Amino acid sequence: MIARPQMIFGSLMLAVAAFVAWVLWSLPNWSRPGLFFSVTVVPSFRDSAEAARVVSSFRMQALLHVVIGFGLVVGGAMLDRAVLLILGVLWLVAGPLVAVSIAHAKALPHAVAHSTVREASLAPRLSQLPGGWILQLSPFALLLVTAAYVAAHWNQIPDRFPVHWGLNGMPNGWSTRTTMGVYGPLYFGAGLVAMISLLSYAITHAARRPPASGGSDGKRDHPQRMALVLLGVELFVAAMLSFVALLPLMGSPGVTSMMITAAGIVIGVIFLSRWQSHGISNSAASVQPGDGTPDSCWKLGLFYFNPDDPALFVEKRVGIGYTINFARGAAWAILVLTVVLPLGLAALVIRNRP
Amino acid sequence: MLRIDLALPRPVYEQIVSGLRALLVAGEFVPGEQLPTVRQLATDLGVHHNTVAESYRLLADEGWLDLRRGRGAVVLDREKPRPITAEKHGFRLRLEELIAKAITDGVPRSALAAHMAALAKKLGKP
Repeated sequence: MIARPQMIFGSLMLAVAAFVAWVLWSLPNWSRPGLFFSVTVVPSFRDSAEAARVVSSFRMQALLHVVIGFGLVVGGAMLDRAVLLILGVLWLVAGPLVAVSIAHAKALPHAVAHSTVREASLAPRLSQLPGGWILQLSPFALLLVTAAYVAAHWNQIPDRFPVHWGLNGMPNGWSTRTTMGVYGPLYFGAGLVAMISLLSYAITHAARRPPASGGSDGKRDHPQRMALVLLGVELFVAAMLSFVALLPLMGSPGVTSMMITAAGIVIGVIFLSRWQSHGISNSAASVQPGDGTPDSCWKLGLFYFNPDDPALFVEKRVGIGYTINFARGAAWAILVLTVVLPLGLAALVIRNRP
Repeated sequence: MLRIDLALPRPVYEQIVSGLRALLVAGEFVPGEQLPTVRQLATDLGVHHNTVAESYRLLADEGWLDLRRGRGAVVLDREKPRPITAEKHGFRLRLEELIAKAITDGVPRSALAAHMAALAKKLGKP
């Protein structure tokens, strides 16, 4: 008989796998009519039999990668093999990317010239972050309040408390009641939130706004919508790490916290993806094929490299949101900050944990 | 909204100047209103920021914009200039060329006259 913690873990993994599969299944729908797997096409191509074959093939490949990836992750967790776990995570990242690149290659023969018409709204750019500085500081406020609460109840924290649990529900990682041991998650949270805030600021100031024409009501401002999404992410990160910091005072609701976190992620991303994809569908009436950027600048259909484009951020061709222009030096700096900094912070916190 | 076409033989900065001038003449901007900064407009159009800067400078020379560091491009209350004879002659020549090309392309004369009257009325609004 499978023990209860394993059943809970298995159910959780199944739910996350289903969610990831749903995201990948929906991916072909999350782009403008004049784009198909990052290739500029006539809008009517998406309704063709050939397009349907490419989409079908992509979905089958993506699902296969999800099954293999999650299988490796679950296997690694069950057998306590870190190598399998890491391989599974890498498969889940690389597999869908490969599937997108293959679909991109299949779509290339159907490419048309991108439009040379450029349009720009002359309305003032909304460069202020959504909600102003007060709302932007709220994630930091949450972390600060948590820190104050923990400080006020310092003596109630056990001298030694669990920070990691195995699949059998038993703790297998510990920390002690020291500054870094207790406040480490909050330091990490503050660093992450600061990094996301920086990204949000960069996008509102340096991302290309979609053209004013194309069926939009003119009020849609993608950089602002993305900034709002990122604010939601900041609040979620602050809430999650505040919860982690409070765990020593709450006992060991390890599995419960995992389920709450996973449910929160799923619900939040579903909501945000529907909201953002609604913005994409609003531009379906655009008369221009593509997005004005040359297909040749989209490497493997995913990575944008255009030294002639002054924009630091451009709208993704596959999926929702923005990607950086890798031809710009500043964009690499942002990439380093958003990837290296969180990893460095995490390593610092883990290393300095007693 | 400003629209340019990179495939046209006309330089991009000229297209920006013409597009903005048409909007300014039509009264789409009120004096004191701020245009997007050079960097913002260059990012949105996907052109070099020097191209937009040159366009703004030309419009400033014509008296349409006030360019001050830190303030961006602000629309001025431009006084109606006294027409210069040489400019009038040059305009007439350009107009003749444009009309000849339109007729060659098959645009009916009556349609031409109607278009020009409508445009003059639209752009001449205060």
